[in-house]
Amino acid sequence: MMTLKKNKTLIVGVGNDILSDDGIGIKLVWDLESCFAKASQDRETMQPIDFKTAALGGLELLELIQGYEHVIFIDAIKTEGGVPGAVYEMTTDDFKETHHLSHVHDVSFLQALELGRRTGMKVASKINIIAIEIVEDLLFSDDFSPEVAAKWPEIKETVLQLVNKYLNQ
Amino acid sequence: MKRVTIDPITRLEGHGKIEIFLTDDGEVDNVYFQVPELRGFEKFCEGRPVEEVPTIVTKICGVCPGCHHMASGKAVDAVFGVEPTATAKKLRELFYMAHFVHSHIAHFYALAAPDFVVGPTANPAERNVLGVIAKVGVEIGTEVLKQRRIAQEIQALLGGHQTHVVMNVPGGVRKGLTEEQRKDIEEKAKGFVEFSKFSMKIFNDVVLANKEYVDIILNGPYALNLHSMGLVDANNKVNFYEGKVRVVDTNGKEHCKYSPNEYRDWVAERVESWSYLKFPYLKQIGWKGFVEGNDSGVYHATPLSRLNVADGMATPVAQQEYERMFETLGGKPVHATLAMHWARLVELIYAAERCLELAQDKEITAPDLRAKVEKIPTEGVGIVEAQRGTLTHHYWTDENGIVTKANIIVGTTNNNAAICMSLKKAAQGLIKKGVEVNEGICNMIEMAFRAYDPCFSCATHRLPGTMPMIVNINDKDGNVMQTVKRD
Repeated sequence: MMTLKKNKTLIVGVGNDILSDDGIGIKLVWDLESCFAKASQDRETMQPIDFKTAALGGLELLELIQGYEHVIFIDAIKTEGGVPGAVYEMTTDDFKETHHLSHVHDVSFLQALELGRRTGMKVASKINIIAIEIVEDLLFSDDFSPEVAAKWPEIKETVLQLVNKYLNQ
Repeated sequence: MKRVTIDPITRLEGHGKIEIFLTDDGEVDNVYFQVPELRGFEKFCEGRPVEEVPTIVTKICGVCPGCHHMASGKAVDAVFGVEPTATAKKLRELFYMAHFVHSHIAHFYALAAPDFVVGPTANPAERNVLGVIAKVGVEIGTEVLKQRRIAQEIQALLGGHQTHVVMNVPGGVRKGLTEEQRKDIEEKAKGFVEFSKFSMKIFNDVVLANKEYVDIILNGPYALNLHSMGLVDANNKVNFYEGKVRVVDTNGKEHCKYSPNEYRDWVAERVESWSYLKFPYLKQIGWKGFVEGNDSGVYHATPLSRLNVADGMATPVAQQEYERMFETLGGKPVHATLAMHWARLVELIYAAERCLELAQDKEITAPDLRAKVEKIPTEGVGIVEAQRGTLTHHYWTDENGIVTKANIIVGTTNNNAAICMSLKKAAQGLIKKGVEVNEGICNMIEMAFRAYDPCFSCATHRLPGTMPMIVNINDKDGNVMQTVKRD
C-alpha cells in the first residue's frame, strides 16, 4: 500500500468538531493550516508542516504521530475554576504524575508514548500540548458555547503565537 | 448509611462514576453506575439528507466509528428500499472484520490482560499495558502495535479514512478493491489469524492455567444470570454484519429472533431518574427491575451473549475454540461475566478468519459496487453487532430523503442494567464488614464492568489521562472515614 511521505513536524487537532467546544482543537488546526498555507506562498524558506485532526486517544494517537520529530497537539480541556477560552501550554512532563493511569478504550496517551518507545517505534522527541479551556462538551452542535465563541479571535491569535514559538525553538 | 464512591472509572470511555452505598453494618446496600450522556445527536441529524448520516455518525464515537457507519449505512439502504450488491456487502464486511480485529486486540492487551497477566490486585502503577509487556515480552508489544496498524490500514483503504469512514452509500460502497490490493489484504489477514491464535494461547497459558484466575472467573462474584442477545446468520452462526437478532433465555431457549425492522416489538427502553442513560429491556417480558432470572426483562448484549445465542461459529478455528470454551465452562449458556474476555478472543479469531475468507474471495474485486436506488425514501432500520453489543440505527425521512426523526440504541446501552447489576454483585461479594476497601478491591469491582468493554462517549481524546480513581468511605452521616486514591 502507498505510504505518504511525512514532514518532520505535525500539528494535530484532537476532538469532535460536531460536539460544541470539544471541537476547538480541530477548528484551530483548520485555521492554522490555512494561515500557514497562505504564509508559505510568501516565504519559500518556511519549514513544511503536516496538519491532522483526530477524534482518537491512546494507541491510535501513537499510530498517528509515528515518524514525526516534533508534534504539537491542540486539545480542549476543562479544569476546576478555569476561565473559558484560557489557553494553556503543556508538555508531556506536566503529566508525569498520571503516567501509570489508563484512560480511554485502550491506554492513556502517555502510556502509549512509553509503549512506542519501548517497542522501538520512532516517537517524537519534542511534544508540545496546547489546551483551551472549554465549557460545553456534551451537546452535539456545530457551534461553540457563547463563552468560547466570544473569545474565538483571541484564542486563534494566542495559539498561532504559541505554534510559531514552538516551531522556532 | 455509608457511601463508597469510585469516580471516575479508569480504563473506560468518557467519564463515569460508581456509587456504592453501605449499610451501618458495612455490607453493600446498593450500587449506582452513572455516566453523563452526550445530548442531541438525533436532533443534530434532523433536517439533513439521510445519505449524509453514515458519515456524520462516525463522529458519535471515536472508538467504534466503523460500527456506527455500518449500522447507519444499512439503515439508509432500508430507507431507500435498496439491497446492496453482493460485492458491496463483501467489501463492507471485510472492512468490518478489520475493525473488529483492531478493537478486540486493544481490549485484550490493554484492558483485560492487565488484570490477569499483571494481577487483579497488583500495584496500579504496573497494572497496565506496560506491565503486560514487561511480563510477556516487548516483542509481543511490537506485534500488538503492528497488527493494529495493519487493521487500521485496511480500514483506511476500504473506508476512505481510518476514523471518519466514508465508505457506504445507499445500495453499496463508494469504491472497490483492485486485485493487487486484494492480494495485499489476503497476506495481512493471514497474519491476523496467526496473531489471534497466539493471543488465545496467551489466554490459555496465563489465565486458564492459573487456578486462582479460573476460580475468579467461575466462582467469584461475577456471574449474572440474564438473557442473551446477538446477531446470527441463516444457520444461527455468529455474524457481526448481517442477520437476525436472536435472544435466548437464561436456560438457552430461544425467546425471539427478529429482523431489524421489528426491533421495537421486542426491545423497549426504561428511564431511571438517577441515570442519564436509558435501560433497554425485553418488551414481551416487561421491566421487572434490576433482577436476575428468566422472569427478568434484563439482557446481555456482549461477546459472551453473542456466543450464547448462536449455534456455533462460521469459521473453523473459531468453531473449535467456541466448542472448547463451552465444554470447559459447562455448556451453554454461560453467565460468568469475566468469561466475556474468553468469548472476545473467540470472536477475534472469527473476525481474523472471516477477514481472510473475504480477502480470498476473488469476486470481491468485481465492479458491481452499487445497486440503483429507485424507491422513494421513507423509514429504515439497520442493525449490526458492535464490539460492545447490538447496535441499532433507525431513521425516518420525508419523501425527499430529509431526516425527520432518528433513534439509536448503542451497544453499551443494551448492557446498562446488566453493568449496574454486575457491579452490585461484585461489590457485595468483595466488600464485607471489617474488610478495608483498598485499591485492589476497588479494581476487582471495576473488573466487573471492564469485562463489558463499555464505551459511553465520543470524547476519547483527552490527552493527559488525568482520571484518578477516588474511593471515599463515608459514615452514615456522610463524613469521610477513609479515602483511597489512585493518581
